[in-house]
Amino acid sequence: MGSIARIEVKDGNPVAALQNFCARLLADSEITAVLAPRQLPGNRGAMPALVAAPEQLHDIDPLAPSFRLNAARMLTRLTRGADDGGLVAALLRPCEVRAFIELCKLNQGSLENTLLVSLDCPGAFSNTDYPRFAANSGDTWSLVQFLGTSGRGTHGGIEIARACCTCEHTTGAEADLSIGLFGQDVEKGLLLMANTPRGEGFMTRLGLPEATDDGSRDKALEALLAERRAAQELMFAETTAATSDMTGLSQFLSACVNCYNCRAACPVCYCKECVFLTDVFEHKPWQYLSWARQRGALKMPTDTVFFHLTRLAHMSTACVGCGQCSNACPNGVPVMELFKTIAAATQKAFEYEAGRDPGEAPPLSVFREREFPELTGGLD
Amino acid sequence: MQELIATLETQSDPLPGAAFEPAIVAFVCNWCTYTAADLAGTSRMVQSPNVRLVRMMCTGMVDPKYIIKALLGGADAVLVSGCHPGDCHYINGNYKARRRVKLLMEILPRFGIDSRRIKLTWVGASEGNEFAATVNRFAAEIKELGPIDTRRLPLL
Amino acid sequence: MPSRIGVYVCHCGTNIAGRVDSEGVARFAAGLKNVAVARDYKFMCSDPGQDMIIKDIREMGLTRVVVASCSPRLHEKTFQKACQRGGLNPFLFQMTCIREHCSWVVADPVEATAKAKTLVAGAVSRVNEHEELYSRVEAVHPDVLVVGGGIAGIQAALDIARSGHKVHLVERGPSIGGHMTQFDKTFPTLDCAACISTPKMVAVAQEPNINLMTMSEAVEVKGYVGNYTARIRTRPRYINEDRCTGCGLCMEKCPKSVPSEFEEGLAKRKAVHRNSPQSVPNTPVIDPASCIYLVKGKCGACKQNCPSEAIDFEQQESFLDVQVGTIVLATGFDILDPTALTQYGFGRYPEVYTGLQFERLNNAVGPTGGKILMKNGQAPESVAIIHCVGSRDKNQHEYCSRVCCMYALKYDHLIKDKIGHQARVFNFYIDMRCFGKGYEEFYRRVQEEGVTFIRGRPSEVTDQTLSAEEDGKLIVVAEDTLLGRPVRVSVDMVVLCTAMQARRDASEVARIFGISQGQDGFFLEEHPKLGPVSTATDGIFLAGTCQGPKDIPDAVAHASGGAGQALSLAARGEVSISPTVSWINPDICVGCKMCVDLCAYSAIEFDERRKVCVINEAMCKGCGSCAGHCPSGAAQVRHFNEKQIFAELEGLSQNVPLVRQPAGVDHL
Ligand SMILES: Cc1cc2nc3c(=O)[nH]c(=O)nc-3n(C[C@H](O)[C@H](O)[C@H](O)COP(=O)(O)OP(=O)(O)OC[C@H]3O[C@@H](n4cnc5c(N)ncnc54)[C@H](O)[C@@H]3O)c2cc1C
Ligand code: SF4
Ligand code: SF4
Ligand code: SF4
Ligand code: SF4
Ligand code: FES
Repeated sequence: MGSIARIEVKDGNPVAALQNFCARLLADSEITAVLAPRQLPGNRGAMPALVAAPEQLHDIDPLAPSFRLNAARMLTRLTRGADDGGLVAALLRPCEVRAFIELCKLNQGSLENTLLVSLDCPGAFSNTDYPRFAANSGDTWSLVQFLGTSGRGTHGGIEIARACCTCEHTTGAEADLSIGLFGQDVEKGLLLMANTPRGEGFMTRLGLPEATDDGSRDKALEALLAERRAAQELMFAETTAATSDMTGLSQFLSACVNCYNCRAACPVCYCKECVFLTDVFEHKPWQYLSWARQRGALKMPTDTVFFHLTRLAHMSTACVGCGQCSNACPNGVPVMELFKTIAAATQKAFEYEAGRDPGEAPPLSVFREREFPELTGGLD
Repeated sequence: MQELIATLETQSDPLPGAAFEPAIVAFVCNWCTYTAADLAGTSRMVQSPNVRLVRMMCTGMVDPKYIIKALLGGADAVLVSGCHPGDCHYINGNYKARRRVKLLMEILPRFGIDSRRIKLTWVGASEGNEFAATVNRFAAEIKELGPIDTRRLPLL
Repeated sequence: MPSRIGVYVCHCGTNIAGRVDSEGVARFAAGLKNVAVARDYKFMCSDPGQDMIIKDIREMGLTRVVVASCSPRLHEKTFQKACQRGGLNPFLFQMTCIREHCSWVVADPVEATAKAKTLVAGAVSRVNEHEELYSRVEAVHPDVLVVGGGIAGIQAALDIARSGHKVHLVERGPSIGGHMTQFDKTFPTLDCAACISTPKMVAVAQEPNINLMTMSEAVEVKGYVGNYTARIRTRPRYINEDRCTGCGLCMEKCPKSVPSEFEEGLAKRKAVHRNSPQSVPNTPVIDPASCIYLVKGKCGACKQNCPSEAIDFEQQESFLDVQVGTIVLATGFDILDPTALTQYGFGRYPEVYTGLQFERLNNAVGPTGGKILMKNGQAPESVAIIHCVGSRDKNQHEYCSRVCCMYALKYDHLIKDKIGHQARVFNFYIDMRCFGKGYEEFYRRVQEEGVTFIRGRPSEVTDQTLSAEEDGKLIVVAEDTLLGRPVRVSVDMVVLCTAMQARRDASEVARIFGISQGQDGFFLEEHPKLGPVSTATDGIFLAGTCQGPKDIPDAVAHASGGAGQALSLAARGEVSISPTVSWINPDICVGCKMCVDLCAYSAIEFDERRKVCVINEAMCKGCGSCAGHCPSGAAQVRHFNEKQIFAELEGLSQNVPLVRQPAGVDHL
């Protein structure tokens, strides 16, 4: 385990403490800018902002339980190619860290050019629920209440997004530095942990007071994970039951209008242009008519199930379960449920875990000469 | 709703009355399995007519989308067949194909597409008899399984 | 504009029409989308059959042609050419097999006819999506690069040069000859290694078509079959080859001695040194690591004494770019360092030798003048030869090194011959593998010389004695697996037949030339049976032991094979580059580089400027490993692209009965 420091919280305001932490990062000569969630006007939640000037840090709020988009894709834009722009420090949720690692494997971004800082994630409300939460309780006091539960319980009758309720990767030890919230009295102080040599280097330079691990974080985490895993099991079971045959799957996806918002929101659906938007799927009028004749009636738009099955084939091994697909769907299709359930299976099949290790090659980019004998009844 | 579907399912058995003839699509590589199929033909090895070959240069070019498309488009089963490990004309295309089939095997059966409907085999160029046997065994197996769900669903 | 397709259904006499209703199939085809004409005919491949197609293309303005007949593996080219004669690009044609895959194998005529219709529907649907493609012809540069000047590289270079092509022969060391120059005798004929290798080495030096570059290595290779540019780095020899007469005075005068690599550490050499007087070139070389002048800036004894003023301390590393059409790699092998196999005591007991060291002990110009002597100057009374050290061993190399049994027999004979019949020789072997021409006979002969063979891999070599008899000896402890009992054999000397293995830098060389290594580390041939000298990269061939362990006859034969392959390309002077290769659409490619590693032919490069991947069409073989993965469909195999395959699938499933769904249910 790496070293641990303490981020002091003054006046019971952890958000201010983190703004201050960002200011310290900015003061470091190596860091050119900080990428962190910033409050949108009118309780609309938070979106990432790239802050270069310390005086612009006042709306930065990495703790807001709002997750309007997965910032991993934003970070790839800031880090890809030659590192001429200098280092960007990024404050991310664990699922954003893992998505970013996946994207780096796919040559979309570079771990070299960023200092990854993850925060313990208690979860976030869906894009539609967040304004309701914020309207009722958008102040520091209720934020502290929210954080105090270390990711458990509902808040004013509103539950955090289902992706979050079923997430078992609530800490981001894959990042260079991680900020510990769980089990802490967030009105007093937060933990800062270094996980990589680069993280260690910054930790030393930041000059924060040293801290010791009293086990309270692990304890809170354990309780949280037990709940989350149970919820996940339940979700897997429900989704599996609902989609156990093609009729079920069709029904599951019945509200889909082929808008492809889910894939646009998905951080690891990294294609510039989805193949379903290319001319391969530009059918001719007579083709539609002949399908309609063959089947008697044709669902329009076509290729819906085909799209989702293909997306599962393409990226379920990279899915980090962030839930942005569901968040983005205008028609309430439970996309995340489907993808996370299948992802658990495909990742297990290849002994792979998305975002776990930058050195782990995506399963479909490699092969072994002797593997999967069950497919062909042997290895020869 | 569930009941309604159940009744409709019994009503909508494809080709009522006629025996079920599965439609099977086989993606086979030019250098091994396609050649074996030619050999089986030259040797007049009788095969059930249900398998339609799609000639590929190598199993490594079988995009998982092709298999999904076939299964959604009315094929009751898909066979992917190429050279034995170590014999691929393009060195290792068959190993990549094996991973892609493995991937689909983890996905499609979860949606009720019986895993027996997706088959990967290695049939070398000289194995005409093995090719004919594979076709006949596979066709019999799929006949037994009955028509694929997707034939009934007007989805695409 | 919709295509105008002509469909031609063959009877093949009665081969097809005996089972399939060819006429009916043609009638069915006539009703398919975009089909302008559908005909059936007795023999489509006959001249009148082909003329029918040509006439229709011309007169009916067909833009696509489908033939349903025998296997495309037989007649695809025939019909493509017919299309071409009719003025249609040959790739606007599709063939489907209704003979081997249909009439010959489907018993029932009705079923056979139905299947034929399905296949035709698939082909018709597919051909709509076909695109015009054109083959490209590229010139092949007539010169050849040979890398490595061991016996294999020498053979390849001579074969090529004698055909009139120019060869650049690049050798890393100061002399050509490779491992063979270290030996004294060679099995199974026991002719002296120098007697057979020296004439070849000299021939290389005298061959006007060979540009010999010693002290040199290829550091970068660019291009593709027919057009390679190799950057050759030459390290300084510090002696001007043109001036040096090879008199050797410098070596006499040099005050600095270090262990000799060529003598496998058994003797010393000077800082200015030469492997042997037979070296080619016979110019000595100054080793910058041990030369006092080059290290400390003073000395220069050689320079003062050289009568030809050949010493040149100012020489620098130099680079040369050579243009060649093809490349032959002959970089040879290393032997396994047995120090790690501590049970054999190599490095710990002075009288434990490797095979190569033992070769030097036997060599007339070696450290002992060709006498088999121990470090104390005495001849050993008994010698143990341990076979398969590091070979056929799960923890080292699983493969058999193929030469150890034979050179062990050579040693058996040499010991008996040189020390005398009383010398006792023990072979510890697993299996005797004497498969070559004259090898078994040699084995017999040695057996008759009174050598002991013990079947079993020794567990250790030790100096821990158990009896007075063993005192001062090395004891080889083993189990005789034939007799099933443990044995202890005390000897004066132990020779380890260490494994041949891939060169230390094989992976680096593989990377430079864009070829692969097998699991054993040796360079990977294109096909284990049918392509043992070619590699997956067009225009790059293998010669000798860089591809796997071989003895000299096999290495030489392999090298001639590699030379022949290189020559056949060079002689033709051009390569035709198939158009059915892959292509990456730069507007769609997202630059993830996944395809780069999936390509077994290193045909894909990442363009840093545009941030997309690009396929070198001259290197691509059209296998589709890239296209089969590329999620965005940016990578596509020409003539096997997604649209074409999808269209074929649709055609094939056109008459699959899909049940019409009553209204209101599952309208999904
Ligand atoms: C102990 C022992 C005894 C043997 N005895 C016999 C025998 O009696 N009879 C028999 O038939 N076989 C014998 N063999 C086998 C024999 O040594 C080989 O078959 C033969 O030497 C192979 O020749 P080669 O040219 O392939 O490789 P090598 O002899 O290894 O030659 C390779 C050459 O390439 C050069 N090179 C390497 N890398 C590069 C590079 N990157 N760039 C430029 N140059 C490079 C090297 O310097 C070397 O000169 C014996 C082997 C051993 C180990
Ligand atoms: S599929 Fe959904 S849950 Fe998975 S990574 Fe993409 S957006 Fe997140
Ligand atoms: S699931 Fe939702 S977001 Fe995705 S394509 Fe369908 S409607 Fe759009
Ligand atoms: S796999 Fe496809 S998207 Fe990725 S680099 Fe290759 S061609 Fe481009
Ligand atoms: S088709 Fe793709 S993978 Fe195959 S050789 Fe060409 S570039 Fe490489
Ligand atoms: S060529 Fe047959 S599987 Fe690759």
